[in-house]
Amino acid sequence: MDSREIKWGLLILFIVLLGYLLPYTVFTETPHWYGSFLLWSLLALAIIVINYLFTRNWGE
Amino acid sequence: MVWWTIVIYIIISLIIAFLSRSGKQTSMESYFLGDRKLNGFVSALSYSATTYSAFMLVGLAGLTYKGGIGAYGFEIIYFMGVSLVAFFGPRFWLAGKKYGYVSPSEMLGDRYDNKKVAAVVSIFSCLFLIPYSAVQLAGVGYLLSGMTNNAISFTTGVIISTILAIVFSYIAGIRSVAWTDSLQALFMIITATIVVLLIINGLGGFGQFFQTLAAKQPESLTVPGNGFFSFLTFLGLTIPWFFFSLSNPQVSQRLFMPSSLKSLRTMLMGFLIFGFIYTIVSIVWGFSASIMFPDLENADLATPKVLSSDLVPPILGVIVMVGILAAAVSTIDSILLTLSSLIARDVYGNMKKEASERKQLQIGKIVIPVIAILAFLFAQINANLIAVLSVASSAGLLVAVPAIIGAFFWKRGTAAGVITSVVVSGLVVIILEFAKLKPFGLASGLWGIALSTILFIFVSLMTKAPEKKADEFISYIRSEMKNTNGKNSRQIKA
Repeated sequence: MDSREIKWGLLILFIVLLGYLLPYTVFTETPHWYGSFLLWSLLALAIIVINYLFTRNWGE
Repeated sequence: MVWWTIVIYIIISLIIAFLSRSGKQTSMESYFLGDRKLNGFVSALSYSATTYSAFMLVGLAGLTYKGGIGAYGFEIIYFMGVSLVAFFGPRFWLAGKKYGYVSPSEMLGDRYDNKKVAAVVSIFSCLFLIPYSAVQLAGVGYLLSGMTNNAISFTTGVIISTILAIVFSYIAGIRSVAWTDSLQALFMIITATIVVLLIINGLGGFGQFFQTLAAKQPESLTVPGNGFFSFLTFLGLTIPWFFFSLSNPQVSQRLFMPSSLKSLRTMLMGFLIFGFIYTIVSIVWGFSASIMFPDLENADLATPKVLSSDLVPPILGVIVMVGILAAAVSTIDSILLTLSSLIARDVYGNMKKEASERKQLQIGKIVIPVIAILAFLFAQINANLIAVLSVASSAGLLVAVPAIIGAFFWKRGTAAGVITSVVVSGLVVIILEFAKLKPFGLASGLWGIALSTILFIFVSLMTKAPEKKADEFISYIRSEMKNTNGKNSRQIKA
């Protein structure tokens, strides 16, 4: 793994950790769409963008 | 109407499957990997269809019905785990191309310089994936019987899908599987999304939908919610699925197939977009069921109930239902094909010295129906909650992950380390699952991965590594990856 891979990898790991921690702490008392539902949706979108940027020059 | 729709689906799929045949399928690489020439679009759709199965649309909706929004989090964590493809995808692809690997376990066997590794990993894959296929079959059984009020029985549904899975694998190997998969995925994403729009609209729009949930079942919008998704349960469910893209050979084998890195990228991105939509679809189905039918006895009936509700036009409901049947088939046929390649190549091929390609392929073709029938028998044991059983199979496959990561990054890894970690931790997972034990509240998968990591490292350190092979393999991958990444970093600077 080179430094670029490590940087992106850590970013993904951080997002995954947020996906575990926030719903079980900050959002336990937010029974609305803008609680855990929104959080997980935004994190998933972030993952899509990250993968897009990370792999953008594959095969060129 | 149900029967007619099923017949139309079968006819269209058969046409697609026959059209997909190209050239002679006489080599293992051709039959099981499509000659490593799959284009990005088909790869993406087929990867999605293989991953997202009846489990997703029946099981995940059921899990949402039962435990609330935690089911969404569970699937999103899995989804995030597919990012592993961005790191391991090119490495698998490069190694497959250079050394001619047909299966992921063949790669492990070669890299750790011991054919027993390939055989052992393959046998354990079968041990866990046959129940997983059975779970898919059971999903179809539930769905058809639930939606037709038993006009089509559980067993009939299971028989139809078993036969179709065998046929689609037979016609042209991975080519017919990939193309019928793609058809199914494309069709399903469109119809399932329409269903979601209709339901949300019928229940008063997006805002109203969530307001109703918040008013009637506020606990369904948080974790741990009604208690189903305690943090430890969540962890136990998500960890095996996070590594799904590496641990499950029917998807990791796909990393060998794209025609180029560009196609591999299309596969990854296509899957992510598809997966995100599909996840939301399943969750909305589950929530809709809990709004409309709050007192179901069996959570797995959530999807059939929604599809046969007043909000969904009957013809659309039937079409989607057949789409779900197709989803189960598209997962099972890929698993059949992968397991058959494992048995023919890594078990049989390694036992017999003179096993030619031709002979291996012959064996592979015999194995396909045998596995299908085993899965069929397993499906007759009516599983209660589809998702949970399915995760148990994932938990079992998880034990090979340390060896897979080690293959690319740790020169000290040894064959003894792989075999010990896979066999011992695999057996521990099986024992925990059968005895329904959760020591210290931790699920079998967590024990499996922890134990297999420790065993892999310790046993490897105590035994002699295949230095020459490890050096050659890892250096090759590293230098090739540098080329890819080198280009990337230059372009980023520019």
